[in-house]
Amino acid sequence: MSIEPITGRYVTVTVGGAPRRIYFEEAGQGRPVICLHTAGADTRQWRHLMNDSEITASNRLIAFDMPWHGKSLPPEGFETQEYLLTTEAYIETVLAVIDGLGLDRPVLAGCSMGGRIALQIAALHPEKFSGFIAIEASDFQPAWYDIDWFHRPDAHGGEMGAALVSANISPHAPNSERWNTLWMFMQSGPGVFRGDLSFYTRDDSLIPRLPTIDTRATPVHIIVGAYDLTCTPEDAERTAKAIPGATLAVMDELGHFPMSEHPEGFRPFFVDALEKMPSPAAKAA
Amino acid sequence: MPAAVSGDTNGDPTLANMAFPERSQARVLTHTLAGMAQRPAIVAAIPQLMNAWEAKVIDTFKQIQTRLEDTPHLLRLGRLFSETVLIEVGGDEFYLSFEKGHIVSVAHGPSRKTPWRFALRTDADALNKFWEARPEPGFHDIFGLVKIGRGRIDGDILSLVKNLRFFKEVLSLARAKEELAA
Repeated sequence: MSIEPITGRYVTVTVGGAPRRIYFEEAGQGRPVICLHTAGADTRQWRHLMNDSEITASNRLIAFDMPWHGKSLPPEGFETQEYLLTTEAYIETVLAVIDGLGLDRPVLAGCSMGGRIALQIAALHPEKFSGFIAIEASDFQPAWYDIDWFHRPDAHGGEMGAALVSANISPHAPNSERWNTLWMFMQSGPGVFRGDLSFYTRDDSLIPRLPTIDTRATPVHIIVGAYDLTCTPEDAERTAKAIPGATLAVMDELGHFPMSEHPEGFRPFFVDALEKMPSPAAKAA
Repeated sequence: MPAAVSGDTNGDPTLANMAFPERSQARVLTHTLAGMAQRPAIVAAIPQLMNAWEAKVIDTFKQIQTRLEDTPHLLRLGRLFSETVLIEVGGDEFYLSFEKGHIVSVAHGPSRKTPWRFALRTDADALNKFWEARPEPGFHDIFGLVKIGRGRIDGDILSLVKNLRFFKEVLSLARAKEELAA
């Protein structure tokens, strides 16, 4: 028998003037690190790092399910709403959660749309964080697919979404973790992946904001996998170049969901990223 | 240049040429399926040897057909899939006809009389790389081929997407298996 150190609880915060019951998990102690999941998935993408005792010895990893995702319920009245995530609502949610949890300038680590929003927050609200780890993140990509495929009455959006995003998983990933990663997409609520992609593939407001990010105050480190078709190394490199002082690491054998699809391959890149962030001691000084 | 080239090459004419060379060029340059050495142009033009190459492609698809029969989960996933799919390799057409998840025929084109539901168009070198145990980035998925300008998918895309896991896994049945021993 083994019981993992990850604990899960709920916090209710206000977003858009209405309450949101947010599920979050955490493990470890020390410097707080908020971990944002990708579109169409949930906190389980961070399960391996949260079970890594060397990392959690000095880092308090906290991951939460965005509303509509995982164990965070959609808002009251969702049954008549079309879920379409926006940059503004996403930022408001992240800020509400760190306030709700009482966190003092955590590191913000996000993957895919979580990485995109980490860069938006680096530009717009840097004072609330100590540094940014943007994984599979870039300025903007239009969709290379029709996002309406993933919410139709005549097909299973989750199964279609999983089959599509498998294109973004490295063939070096262990097969079991490939399928654990895809399972989250298969479980995603109807229209949720589409609603996430709507924001991700149509809002290019980050592009002019990138040069305004002050990496001397809050470092930005971008990590990208060579097998990522959605955010390619070229996309990430272009983005890093637009942020003065940003650093970039390319992972040759990983894809778009590195912490979930290939935890062993991703670990050294995440450890390196944490080392680039201000240490808790420096922050306190 | 076939009309189908435009759109999926990120505006790079070099990629377009690599992906969809003229039919005559394709016969010379891109017919290098697994186990076959690239041939000089003059040899490639001999019809009998081209037939051997085409037979090799047919054999590969028939290998997929056989392996599919030994893969129960794919037959279950494909139980509602009864369509013909066009696979175009370097300008040569091959038709895979499915019936309730089984491949019931593998036919060599060209055929103007064979209706197909959707098509994957690529070149032999790209398909070789797709079938490696651990393909290079871009060659690891049919959408990767499209993204890097080495493939095009057209026709009834929704039919493909509804059966995407099934079709991708069927096409991958010819993939080398070395990684299983690693």
